[in-house]
Amino acid sequence: MSQHVLEVKNATIRFGGLTAVNNVSFQLNKGDLFGLIGPNGAGKTTCFNLITGVYKPTEGTILFQGSSIGGLRPHHIAKRGISRTFQNIRLFNSLSVVENVMIGGQLRHKTAMASAFFHLPSAIKETAELRAKAMDLLEVMDLADSANSRSIDLPYGKQRRLEIARAMATQPDLILLDEPAAGMNPQEKEELMRAVRRIRDEFEKTVLLIEHDMRFVMNLCERIVVLDRGEEIAAGPPEAIRNDPKVIEAYLGEAV
Amino acid sequence: MKFWTVRLLSVAAAFAFAFAMQGLGSVIGDDYAYRVINVSGIFITLAVSLNLINGITGQFSIGHAAFYQVGAYVTGYMTLKMFDPGGMHPTLWLIMMMFVGAVAAGLLGLVVGLPSLRLRGDYLAIVTLGFNEIIRIISTNIPEVGGAAGFNIKPKIVEPWLIWMLAVICIALSRNLLKNAHGLTFWAVREDEVASSAMGVNNTRIKVVAFVVGSALAGAAGVLYGHFEGFLDPKVFGMQQSFIILTMVVLGGTGSITGSALAAVFLTVLPEYLRDLKDPTGNELALNGGGIIGVFAASILMIWAVKRMKTMFPVKGRNRSLAEVGAHLVPWALVPLLNAVLASTPLAANTYRVSELRMVFFALVLILVMQLRPSGVFGHHEFSWNWLKSLFSRFRKEQTA
Amino acid sequence: MGLELYLPLVAAGPDFSTLPQQLTNGLILGSIYALIALGYTMVYGVLRLINFAHGEVYMLGAYTALLVSWAFGFAPTSPGDPKASVLVLAVMLLASMVVCAAVGAVIEYLAYRPMRKQSRISALITAIGVSLLLQYGGALFLPASPPPTISGKVDPFASIATLTLSPPPADLVDAEEAARAELAARETSLEQTMEAEGVRNQFDLSPEGKEVLQAKQAAEREVNRTAGAVETGSITIKLPQNRLVILGTVVGLMAALWFLVMKTKTGRSMRAASHDFESASLMGINVNRVVSITFMIGSALAGAGAMMNATFTGTSLTTFYGLLPGVKAFVAAVLGGIGNIPGAVLGGLIMGLAEELSVWAGFSGYKDAVAFIILIVVLLFRPGGLLGSSKVEKV
Repeated sequence: MSQHVLEVKNATIRFGGLTAVNNVSFQLNKGDLFGLIGPNGAGKTTCFNLITGVYKPTEGTILFQGSSIGGLRPHHIAKRGISRTFQNIRLFNSLSVVENVMIGGQLRHKTAMASAFFHLPSAIKETAELRAKAMDLLEVMDLADSANSRSIDLPYGKQRRLEIARAMATQPDLILLDEPAAGMNPQEKEELMRAVRRIRDEFEKTVLLIEHDMRFVMNLCERIVVLDRGEEIAAGPPEAIRNDPKVIEAYLGEAV
Repeated sequence: MKFWTVRLLSVAAAFAFAFAMQGLGSVIGDDYAYRVINVSGIFITLAVSLNLINGITGQFSIGHAAFYQVGAYVTGYMTLKMFDPGGMHPTLWLIMMMFVGAVAAGLLGLVVGLPSLRLRGDYLAIVTLGFNEIIRIISTNIPEVGGAAGFNIKPKIVEPWLIWMLAVICIALSRNLLKNAHGLTFWAVREDEVASSAMGVNNTRIKVVAFVVGSALAGAAGVLYGHFEGFLDPKVFGMQQSFIILTMVVLGGTGSITGSALAAVFLTVLPEYLRDLKDPTGNELALNGGGIIGVFAASILMIWAVKRMKTMFPVKGRNRSLAEVGAHLVPWALVPLLNAVLASTPLAANTYRVSELRMVFFALVLILVMQLRPSGVFGHHEFSWNWLKSLFSRFRKEQTA
Repeated sequence: MGLELYLPLVAAGPDFSTLPQQLTNGLILGSIYALIALGYTMVYGVLRLINFAHGEVYMLGAYTALLVSWAFGFAPTSPGDPKASVLVLAVMLLASMVVCAAVGAVIEYLAYRPMRKQSRISALITAIGVSLLLQYGGALFLPASPPPTISGKVDPFASIATLTLSPPPADLVDAEEAARAELAARETSLEQTMEAEGVRNQFDLSPEGKEVLQAKQAAEREVNRTAGAVETGSITIKLPQNRLVILGTVVGLMAALWFLVMKTKTGRSMRAASHDFESASLMGINVNRVVSITFMIGSALAGAGAMMNATFTGTSLTTFYGLLPGVKAFVAAVLGGIGNIPGAVLGGLIMGLAEELSVWAGFSGYKDAVAFIILIVVLLFRPGGLLGSSKVEKV
């Protein structure tokens, strides 16, 4: 049985008269580093929202590890093992950096809510464990030194990395990164690229990412799907995409 | 075993505190002050439990008095019909009623919360306000609980230590929650629902838990209030009451348990304190029309001056602190000044006793605090020994600088 | 001259002959709610602020009308017997609207403008503070105890038109006429008996005389019974002229509002600010001016509603006069979809009708709860209100 980690089959969503994503299909295998690109308004983020349950697909199916997740609510999908970051950073602003990551980790822990209200030893122990795990992740994303600052006080690049750390904390099998390099300088992008590779190689996650920076995507991703106006116009390895006339037209068309 | 030693000691401390507060009431010896002190204990529970819903979980509930009322009425009726003075010890009965009232209010919280918590912001606010009014109006239409004339609960069971015990429990539950990882998910819902659900947090469940626990605590507070007073006026549970509880939460600093508790005491005691204010000659304090104009003029001037000081002294330091204190205090000199200067003009024809003005002052305090400290007096801060230490060290640094 | 007070008929149960009357009452009550609701909805549309002090602006409008009427000599203590005139009413209306507009603008400038960048809950608490301040502070300066009433003498429109939808059956009318004739005869014979016995007081009558008296009393009861039967047998609407004046003024004001919002440059700025406050300010719209104007218009409408309600229904004024109408109008605004102007009108009418219908159906004890019950039911099925849209948050 050849099972894909994620399989999007003919996914379509319409908002009123507007078809934001039209008949898009792609598959991710375990350990893929997969890119989703396209000009502005191509429907990339909407694809992420379909996969993570923010929107329900109008048509089509989405299978995660063989079972359908289309229409499940976001927190159920997170529990199944898909986590994400957001294009417009959505951190828990007034909480500290380490607390942001702990909230992600909360998902895999099992003490009852009541134990927290009564501050029972089990809850205390679990909180300590979560904190330790969160610190480990901050170490990986190179954020450990600002663990106790409020997340809103972090510089932009660090906020993006914190989002990834928070997503990693839910221990997902598949992680979706929505424009992780946006607003970063070349050096930060370089570091981010290394971090994403580490996530795949060391933590053995499957990664699906949206990115505008072509150099970033072409260097990092092994396979790429290109969307334009909600439709899939090309798919394949970076070299093929780079020379695909339809892709060039879509991007040039935007430039003109 | 260290854990259980600490836990046992804190429970003992809670009991000691509760009985000390009960003792304080009888030491004062003044019936009126005794009542105000204990009612402020009830409001601590109300404010801290609403803080769990509004402050910590970020839901906009402005109908908290409904749950307070349900606790009071349901158990008041049970005491009236079922309490047997020869049978159970009254204190034990009251404790039992506290649980009954909490369950009743909690169930109502569940019924209200499940469908309405998917509404956002202002819509949730108006639905909770609506439930508040519906419950109150229903109570005025049921003759068995006294209707509009009010409900006599017989017998009264007065156990002030229970009021304080409940306040301590309420504070402890909130604080415990925030100390643990579970509590973080409540903050997460408040900060960003989309992000929290992407992190696997079941927003609805968190909201309902906060709503039910908050309502249950308010219900228990209602039980104690009803049996303490022995008489319930349905008007006391209207939306004005809910606004006052909400005000305590916001004034103290939304999300801050310390702030809610202190604001509850402050706002309960302030109007009563104003009622008894005397001038130096021992008469009841009064202002003439000039003084009233002075109060309004001083308020406006104070807001202006405090904001101005911040721009005039951009650097925090000794000068800035002094300027701010001055800006807060100096404008109030206008009150006695205008009170005296305008005394002979027609503007000053009427005099107003401070006890008549107390609700005006209450409203002014509300507006002034919001203008000068919009996130409440405590902001997001909590009382802790470390916080106190850092405050002192900062103060010392300023002194040496 | 007595003023026909605006008292909903208290029916023992659903009596369909009074339904048209109650619907008419509801429509007029609803039009007043709609007028107040417009203020809530316009302010919310621009600032996303629930202006809890709006009910107090309404209260001040009613007081302005009262004080103006006193200035024209309609105070209970003033000498002379001033004549009702349309001019006085017009001055009262205009004064209420102007004063309310000014109060609204001042409240916005002093209390709400500094809060604009703060969290919405802080702004809401400020609004509650302003509301309390006007309620309790107003009581210091305004005549509030005993609660004053605008004199009925002010109103030249007190005559009542009776609209007959369905005449009573002929036999009932005949029965009533017969009963009245019988009563007249009995009254005459009672007078004759009293004269014959030479007594002035009915209690001094002889036993025979008492019998005559009892017969007359029985005839009276019969008249009441038959008259009641005629009333339930027919369907009429009693419409005091001033109700029509209310309705006409409300429609006129709404038309003016529609023109202002849809056809003028100011209205276009208001719509722009309501659509997207930030962008509007970036596009060179003076948002401070727009907000001020919005407050002034909303408050002026509340002032007009207050003047008409206080003058034509003769309810007595306290500084809490605006509390309940304010809350109900707010509910009306939410019901229609807050921020949506036609929604506020629709919500107000529904609210007024629902209130009168609940009285008609015999639930007068619950009439203030009906508004909220409808609201909750509607919000559960249409979370954005009847005409509002529940926006999907962009992720």
